Amino acid sequence: MFHRQPLLRELKEVCYLFEQLTVTQVVLIAGNHDYLKKDSYYRTFVWPKHVHILLEKELTKVDLPKLDVSVYGFSYHSKEIKEIFQAKAHSSDDCTTRILLLHGGDENHVPLQKDRLLSLDYDYIALGHIHKPRVISANRIAYCGALEPIDKNDTGEHGYILGEIIGKECKTEFIVNAGREYKHIEVPVSPDMTSLALKEKIREQMEKEGIQNIYKIILTGFREPQMMFDLGNADVYGNIIEIVDQTKPSYNFEKLMEQNQNNILGHLIREMKDFDIESVEYQAMCEGVKALMETRRG
Amino acid sequence: MRICELVLRNFGKFTDKRIELSNGIQLIYGENESGKSTIHSFIKGMFFGIERGRGRAAHNDVFSRYEPWDNAAYYSGMLRFESGGKMFCIYRDFDKVSKKVRVICEGDGEELSAEDGDLETLLGEINAGIYDNTISIGQLKAETDGILSSELRNFATNYYAGGGGDIDLTAALGSLKTRKKEIEKEIRLALEEKQKKREHTEQEVSYVWRDIHKLQEEKERLTQEIELRKVREEKERQSCEAEGKGVIDEIRPEKWRVHPLELIFLLVLSAAPVFLLSRPWNYMLSIILFLCCGIYVWNRMKVSKKQEKTEPELILEEITPQEEKVPVEQLFWESSHVSEELRDRKTQYENLKEQIEELEEVSDAFWEQEKRRAAVQMAMDRIEELSGRIHRQMSEALNERLSDIIANITGGKYTKLVVEDAVRISLICDGRKISIEQVSRGTIEQIYFALRMAAVEFLCEEELPVILDDTFAYYDDVRLANTLKWLAENKKQVLLFTCQNREEQALKKLQIVYTKEEV
Repeated sequence: MFHRQPLLRELKEVCYLFEQLTVTQVVLIAGNHDYLKKDSYYRTFVWPKHVHILLEKELTKVDLPKLDVSVYGFSYHSKEIKEIFQAKAHSSDDCTTRILLLHGGDENHVPLQKDRLLSLDYDYIALGHIHKPRVISANRIAYCGALEPIDKNDTGEHGYILGEIIGKECKTEFIVNAGREYKHIEVPVSPDMTSLALKEKIREQMEKEGIQNIYKIILTGFREPQMMFDLGNADVYGNIIEIVDQTKPSYNFEKLMEQNQNNILGHLIREMKDFDIESVEYQAMCEGVKALMETRRG
Repeated sequence: MRICELVLRNFGKFTDKRIELSNGIQLIYGENESGKSTIHSFIKGMFFGIERGRGRAAHNDVFSRYEPWDNAAYYSGMLRFESGGKMFCIYRDFDKVSKKVRVICEGDGEELSAEDGDLETLLGEINAGIYDNTISIGQLKAETDGILSSELRNFATNYYAGGGGDIDLTAALGSLKTRKKEIEKEIRLALEEKQKKREHTEQEVSYVWRDIHKLQEEKERLTQEIELRKVREEKERQSCEAEGKGVIDEIRPEKWRVHPLELIFLLVLSAAPVFLLSRPWNYMLSIILFLCCGIYVWNRMKVSKKQEKTEPELILEEITPQEEKVPVEQLFWESSHVSEELRDRKTQYENLKEQIEELEEVSDAFWEQEKRRAAVQMAMDRIEELSGRIHRQMSEALNERLSDIIANITGGKYTKLVVEDAVRISLICDGRKISIEQVSRGTIEQIYFALRMAAVEFLCEEELPVILDDTFAYYDDVRLANTLKWLAENKKQVLLFTCQNREEQALKKLQIVYTKEEV
């Protein structure tokens, strides 16, 4: 729940929110950020009756007989857990439905092995740790992601997963619920575009995608080599965090190379044009060609 | 390029002097003072104009020297030349009042603008400096001046290394340098921003730490206080026990200040004299005893079991602060509250420290900037490396060409000529390196001649005529013959001004076709 060790007052806030729930049962585990330190408030905090926290380092469960569900899970007691999860701790007194809560998925935090998880015989595995919602196995294993995006790079839709288990049949559905969304939008630029035209285009695109969202604008495509876009007041709605200019000067490198076979420009292009477009070398070529072209005599 | 016709309308001693020139070696023979050098200057003047000197310098500058002897107002001339298969005409007025130049293409009558550099383009991008230092060799002036070496160096780093006439390597590198500086500034600003953030967090940490410290002190104080209270209470209890009222206190139930049996005993005691003693003393004694009992009970009721406080104790109580008088329960409550707070602060402290640690991690934005910086640096390195390579290639090519020419002229005596940095020239003879200062005047002349001929090939795209004004004075007959032979074989047009017959004889001997013009 927390990105750092929770303070008591923070737990009280959450607790207040949980208290608003009337029919819902809440099961919690602590993850790698708010892992259970020796004096963690998680250890002592008293939750309402319908909130269950699985504090053990080893896999434990909580039975919810009314719902006929056993929820398994374990909490982090250190920042990292490098072991693969493979506990199969089913007991005979389990309820009909078993759900596993698991935190992690990258190499330092319980590496994921989809097939192994599927073989563990849980009806549904709810994953946490990664902020982006992602389905690992349809209707069986999924990250619900953060409820709201929490970082400017946390793009895409956010919300929660609504799942229903009838018998042994599990059906999940992702419900978009976040108030805003971080969006990276690519705005293609053409060599004949002026600053004003580009601003208009950015505005149009934002209006199309929704002005409640927060944008990072990435300019792509080819611009007039001498063009410097003046985007001083492009942020009409106050929701642009960054404008990144990734446009390439619209030099025709092949043609330039041909025209300048014997001079330094041609040599430079010949040496570096075959590098990947994202590489330092390619960027160096663009910079070099730009400098050479812009300082040409006459 | 080839000069076809000169018309010295009014230039120096000449008036309407027409000289036709064709391909090959043009021998222009004239005795001393016949005006050979005038023609030489005229050609240069036609191409590049004649600048007037200023002030005293104007008295003997080129302009004044060739100002027409009569009729100074018509200080002008015409030059026809062929370039790229087309004929062009330059008309120039040198006169200070009506100074102007017109360049006309004879084929289509189009007038070119000399001011915009069209003329220089036709001449193959040479300027007066290069002209003087290469194709035009004056009397005993084969030696090139600083201009050639700097031109050559400039050419090597710019024109040639750039490979094209219009690439300006120095400017390009300068622009990249500026770009790099800009990016570095951005990086610095971003780092400063980050540092600020860090400092802010660190400040927060220090505040929290101070809080922790304070709370810890508070906690300690409270614990000590509680401890003290406990000890004091214990002591009081003990002293109470020790100084208790003995047996009566012992048997008296805790809650009763006066035991009921005690009361009965006191009643019996006060009533007893009435029955035991005779009147009238019995009543009196009974009343006295009753009063005594009353005082005893009253005393018991008034003061608790506690000991009366002494004077110093009372004073002490007065001067102790209010908070020390608070009850122990409140101290306990406060202590637990402080502990809670302390724990909270400690968690916060740890969290902030984690936050600082995370700040240490390098952000993506930084890598992006770093990549851009690296790209600009790489562009600079690459361009410099490439230009260096091309420069070396040029030097090698130039040296090779020079060596070839000098070998021809010296009949194979010197087979290798090395020019370092376009200034230091040395000869290689029999494997020995001889610096130019060590060889004879004639050889020096020949070396510079070779350097001029080689340089012009590099500097000008267009093949230009070679203009020699009594250049061969120091040459011996053999080398003269060799040089003429080389010129005839390698140059399309050579204008050879001379006042001697030895060139003509040599040409005849070599059976080289030439045209002779006498002035």
